[in-house]
Amino acid sequence: MTTILVVEDEPEIRRFLRSTLGTEGFRVVESPNARRGAIDAGTHRPDLAIVDLALPDYDGRELIRQIREWSPMPIVVLSARHQEASKIDAFEAGADDYITKPFGVGELLARVRVALRHAARSPAGQVLNLGKIRIELDKRRAGRDGAEIHLTPIEFRLLGALAKHLGMVVTHRQLLAEVWGPSHVGRTHYVRIYMKQLRDKLEEDPVRPRYLVTETGVGYRLLSDEA
Amino acid sequence: MKGYAWAIGATAACTAAGLAMRSRFDLVNIAMVYLLAVVIVALRHSRGPAILTSILSVAAFDFLFVPPRGTFTVDDVQYLLTFAIMLAVGLIISRLIDGLRNQATAQVKLELEAETERIRSALLASISHDLRTPLAVLCGASSSLAERGERLSPAERQALAKSVYDQSRDMSELLNKVLEMTRLETGAIVLKRDWDSVGEIAGAVLERLRERLADHRVVVELPHDLPLVRVDAVLIEQALANLLENAARHTPSGTLVRLRAALSGGELVVSVEDFGPGLPDGDVERVFAKFHRGMAEGAGGGVGLGLAICRAIVRLHGGRAWAEQLPGGGTAFRFSLPIEAQPEMPTEAVA
Repeated sequence: MTTILVVEDEPEIRRFLRSTLGTEGFRVVESPNARRGAIDAGTHRPDLAIVDLALPDYDGRELIRQIREWSPMPIVVLSARHQEASKIDAFEAGADDYITKPFGVGELLARVRVALRHAARSPAGQVLNLGKIRIELDKRRAGRDGAEIHLTPIEFRLLGALAKHLGMVVTHRQLLAEVWGPSHVGRTHYVRIYMKQLRDKLEEDPVRPRYLVTETGVGYRLLSDEA
Repeated sequence: MKGYAWAIGATAACTAAGLAMRSRFDLVNIAMVYLLAVVIVALRHSRGPAILTSILSVAAFDFLFVPPRGTFTVDDVQYLLTFAIMLAVGLIISRLIDGLRNQATAQVKLELEAETERIRSALLASISHDLRTPLAVLCGASSSLAERGERLSPAERQALAKSVYDQSRDMSELLNKVLEMTRLETGAIVLKRDWDSVGEIAGAVLERLRERLADHRVVVELPHDLPLVRVDAVLIEQALANLLENAARHTPSGTLVRLRAALSGGELVVSVEDFGPGLPDGDVERVFAKFHRGMAEGAGGGVGLGLAICRAIVRLHGGRAWAEQLPGGGTAFRFSLPIEAQPEMPTEAVA
């Protein structure tokens, strides 16, 4: 049975998370604060953690950092709006995705499923299916209906960096560090330019992308037909 | 600093005038010219520059005009009185002016406080009105589910739950708007500027408002080669979202909403054009005021904060927000963003 750890201080929010996740067949462990959350993460070994950023004892980001020291379990953050900065910090600390309060159940379950699927997937031999487009990242090949689409080496690397976290958020800094190197993390415009190029090549309507999705103020998310 | 420059400039000008007058006028009249300089500087600037002007004037007057010329010694004791009067006038006037200035500042502050108070009460009145309806629905629908749930048909239960969901979303949005406006007004917002593309921001907004815009035909016209802008993307997304929501709310479903961006005179102008009934005369400016609501707006309308928020955000970025009547009906809501020197671009050897 899949276990989900919920670290959230508001009992009413815990209650509805418990009942919703429960009806979906998940076992739910609840922690009312970060200290308890750190212990429960160790003893219950959950498959996924949902962590509120504003916890009474210490910051949710610190808890994420602690969990990341020993576990790759997917972590989904609950945040309020206007918290882009702490959201970005949470990603740097190791979070995989976020949901903004207030949220509907549909959104919550979608995020949880993507994160769980991602954790179960083996990283090797990545093939992406974006509608009619098929991209073999390891072979650096991309094509639509058999016709080759030319992608530059950097475009492949960018796509690869996003694909590593398929369906989940990757921050600008993470992308810059991975594609251009740690000395380039301030150059957000690099990502903008290449993302536009990629969208022009891969999206049917580049203005309204279906696969290369913008998370404003935070980063990007690659969706594929698998996630 | 500017005041002291004035002090020196004014004294120099008087000295030039005095030298020109010397052959034909009495020394007393030249002293008057210096006195004029003292008064003018005292009127325009604070006490320091006024005193400096007095001292410089006395020194220049003494050195250049009072016999023996070319020295600071004074033959006739009466000129000491002239010096004393110049200094005294400088002090008295600057003091008077400082007092008046302080009074004026206090007055402005009082008026500002009154204005803030007025806005606060208008905000409260508006919010409580806009919260009451959804709260009544929430209370009614949820109590009905909690207490009578088992007697309702599944379809009825579903409908009640759905309205709880919809109303709470609306309330959340209202709350966000109010918080945003407050943050903008209190200056609590520090822009997190970074290079961004308007096309990308537009894409994110269209995705976020997909349901809201579902009843309208949305056309996007973005030139391919728009420059990047250095903006706080989260805020600009909000500004654009507010314009699009506004268009969706005030125009009949099925009508066209056009989102465009274009370069114009060194600025990037983003427009949302609708083909609705247009604005009543004179509303072109008023629509951006807080709590301004469209005429036809009933309970389903907004709080009247959307456009005010848009304008505040755009101004923070050094741009403008305005509305225009379109020929043939409809309204364009536009905002501009300054374009800065473009950043250095990555280079990649294309294989």
